[in-house]
Amino acid sequence: MQIFKKPNYNFMQYKYLAFGISGILIIVGFLNITVGKGLNFGIDFAGGTLIRVMFKDEVSISELRNSLKKANLASSRIQEVGNSKREYIIRSMSLETEEEQKLEAHEITANKIIESLRGEKEKSSLVKGLKDLNSIDENGLAVLLETTFHDNAQKIAHDIISYRVNKEIIQGLDTLGQETGLPREVIEFLKQKTFLGYMTVLSRETVGPQVGHDLRRKATQAAVWALLGMLLYVGIRFKFSYGVAAILTLAHDVLITLGIFSFTPREMNLPVIAGFLTIVGYSLNDTIVIFDRVRDNLKILRKHDFEDILNKSINQTLSRTVITSLTTFLTVAALFIFGGKVINDFAFTMMIGVIIGTYSSIYQSCSLLFVWKKIFKPKRGMGK
Amino acid sequence: MKKNLRWKIILVIAVLCLCIFLAYPPKDKINLGLDLKGGIHLVLQVMTDDSINTETDQEILRVKQQLKKESIAYKSIVKGEKKIGNFSIQEFDTEKEKQLRDLLDEYYKEWDYHVIGNTIRLTTKPNVAAYLRDQAVKTSIETIRNRVDEFGVAEPTIQRQGLTGERIIVELPGVENPERVKNIIKTTALLEWKLVKAGPAANEETLLKDFGGNIPEGTEIIKGDPKRTGGEYYLVDQVAPVTGKDLRNARRSVDEWNNPAVSFSLNQDGAKRFYKFTSDNLGKPLSVVLDGKIQVVATIQARISDAGIISGHYTAEKAEDMALVLRAGALPAEIKYLEERTIGPSLGMDSIRKGLSATLIAFILVLVFMVFYYKKSGINAVTALILNFVILMGALSYFKATLTLPGIAGIILTIGMAVDANVLVFERIREELSQGKSIYSSIASGFSRAFRTIIDANVTTIIAAVFLFQFGTGPVKGFAVTLIIGITASMFTAIFVSRLIFDSTISKKNRKEKLSI
Repeated sequence: MQIFKKPNYNFMQYKYLAFGISGILIIVGFLNITVGKGLNFGIDFAGGTLIRVMFKDEVSISELRNSLKKANLASSRIQEVGNSKREYIIRSMSLETEEEQKLEAHEITANKIIESLRGEKEKSSLVKGLKDLNSIDENGLAVLLETTFHDNAQKIAHDIISYRVNKEIIQGLDTLGQETGLPREVIEFLKQKTFLGYMTVLSRETVGPQVGHDLRRKATQAAVWALLGMLLYVGIRFKFSYGVAAILTLAHDVLITLGIFSFTPREMNLPVIAGFLTIVGYSLNDTIVIFDRVRDNLKILRKHDFEDILNKSINQTLSRTVITSLTTFLTVAALFIFGGKVINDFAFTMMIGVIIGTYSSIYQSCSLLFVWKKIFKPKRGMGK
Repeated sequence: MKKNLRWKIILVIAVLCLCIFLAYPPKDKINLGLDLKGGIHLVLQVMTDDSINTETDQEILRVKQQLKKESIAYKSIVKGEKKIGNFSIQEFDTEKEKQLRDLLDEYYKEWDYHVIGNTIRLTTKPNVAAYLRDQAVKTSIETIRNRVDEFGVAEPTIQRQGLTGERIIVELPGVENPERVKNIIKTTALLEWKLVKAGPAANEETLLKDFGGNIPEGTEIIKGDPKRTGGEYYLVDQVAPVTGKDLRNARRSVDEWNNPAVSFSLNQDGAKRFYKFTSDNLGKPLSVVLDGKIQVVATIQARISDAGIISGHYTAEKAEDMALVLRAGALPAEIKYLEERTIGPSLGMDSIRKGLSATLIAFILVLVFMVFYYKKSGINAVTALILNFVILMGALSYFKATLTLPGIAGIILTIGMAVDANVLVFERIREELSQGKSIYSSIASGFSRAFRTIIDANVTTIIAAVFLFQFGTGPVKGFAVTLIIGITASMFTAIFVSRLIFDSTISKKNRKEKLSI
């Protein structure tokens, strides 16, 4: 099977149109980032605290907002994970305390958030000396069970906690009994000595301002060095003009992806930065393959003019460009749909990046090379 | 079969076996990151200024003693306010300047000094300060490791960030209760026994009433720990005869009323000093000071030599933790938390599950597409892909690299990108075939012409990944690692293995057969 039998499209004739479209995309994105909505920096960069919680029963965002408001935590942002109605991410970033104590302050906020979400009912159970089966750790549970079940305590505790880890939260003691096959006595014992917490904390992250500051610096450095490294490599393997065109192409990809990203509610965090750097590598990969063909064709087709050679090269590599993009896109899409919430922002960035990268290798890389050569070597040797 | 070919096949099978051996069973051989197995990730800053301050304080005491011994008069010794690591001897007896200089030259080689009139200013030499800072970080790491080991965490990671950094990364897999561990790590645990001169008093003024409102020479004011005492003020001796350094052991026990307490025993030297000290001060009140806060004040009722009990209204857990930090030793400087991430085991489990299913689905999608598009040659590519995956796993376990969730994303991405090398070759072969070349020469020139392209295209991706590795922390590093290994392996599988499969299936058969591509 073949997608393109003998492709002979005149891609180069659309170069100014493509420049126009890309230009508009870049400008719109740039405006949105600078004067518009801007980029959402996550706690990795801005500092703050992020808590992932899961509730036993369904809860609405407004209920959560109310309980946070009562504890003077109204500025926290609440985000539902999927359409679960049970799993939420809560972030708090703003603080007005002394610079130095910021991390501790974020910590305190995190504790407050967790406490205010746990609600009153739970407090009264804790006061009665009951243990929360949805937050106790394995050793704690084993100690509790030891009084009645002696030697079996560790194993029972292990079974219960493994069940909880698997299910994320224990919904009811009877279902626990049915699904783990634990003996009746154990369930009865648990009913007396424990209660099922209304909420469990899946993860909590707190980042101080200094770390975020360092991270921004390091991310910028990494991006700049990566670009320079590639310019150098392409410059050595090809010619300087190819290097420039390649770098411009990937700057184009990153800027447009960043622009699209800024229109989503997604946050810039570490994995997203990783996504952007990967796009840089990926986009160049595509471009190099085409330039490589240009280099070959310059030797074979000496008589053709440069624009014609460029066009031919794009066409000859078109199948490969499209197929590789397709396989990459398929895998990234699998990650986006099935990879789960933690990696979702990364997968999204990559998906956009792959699409833009494919478009730019076909419509931008050669056009940029052409224009660059036209400007800086107007008279002689289009081909050289 | 050609001899050459046989050796190549043996090589590939050997690589395959080696990687399976390295990575099987993956559950034990592949190191999972905290984001997958759950645990606590902490970044701490060692406030190394503290250790220089402590050093300065000790030097000031030493200088005072020596000046007294040499009977060189001076008005006062003042510690530098703005910058750390300096102090000045003010209004010294200028007639004895030569003597003073000789003294400093001989005994204070680690300090630079400048004489301005009748004031002499001492500053730590920069290399000495750097050494002190470095030591503070190293000792902190040692102490934290002791504490974590005592606490009982399996496979903790405690390492310095960078070679000379002042930050420490602590990773504790499987620990869920961040508060307790954080306190255990953070406590400086400087324990001192100090004689109480006056107190308790509600504020500093009433405390100093008997002394005319001034703090007497050699004493200082310390506040009681509000959780352990009434939180009142005490006037105590500046110098502690016995400190935590003299401890031989500490463990949780109970006091005479059966309340949780910490029992301690002293080493020989400490016991001797403690015996003499308690003998000299029978009937006087003695305070136990932990990190500058009084835990408990008790009257010395008997001569104590090598063992005793500290009872400060502790809870059982607190007594346990305190005994632990005392055993593990004090930190040389204060520690601040810069970053804390706690991942619960169920979130990690969920990530593994989702990551695996995404990997599997991505793999199947690529497999179906390749076989559909390139027919039998597609199978060739898929074989190379599977081998690529095995090599990736083997390399991960050989380099003891950590597999993180972004690392899994890297593997998935590699699946998509690894077939690229095959695609490049196959497309070239198709071009050659369409120009009417024979199958064998099409394959040969397809591979040789695509070779340079494959190298160029992949090196650039590797360049990006290397910088990502440099920049990244934990999870992101994991991504860079899988990407680098995956792409490198894909070059080997596409150029070498895929070629091998072509050669071994084509060479023996007749030349007229159609190539399924």
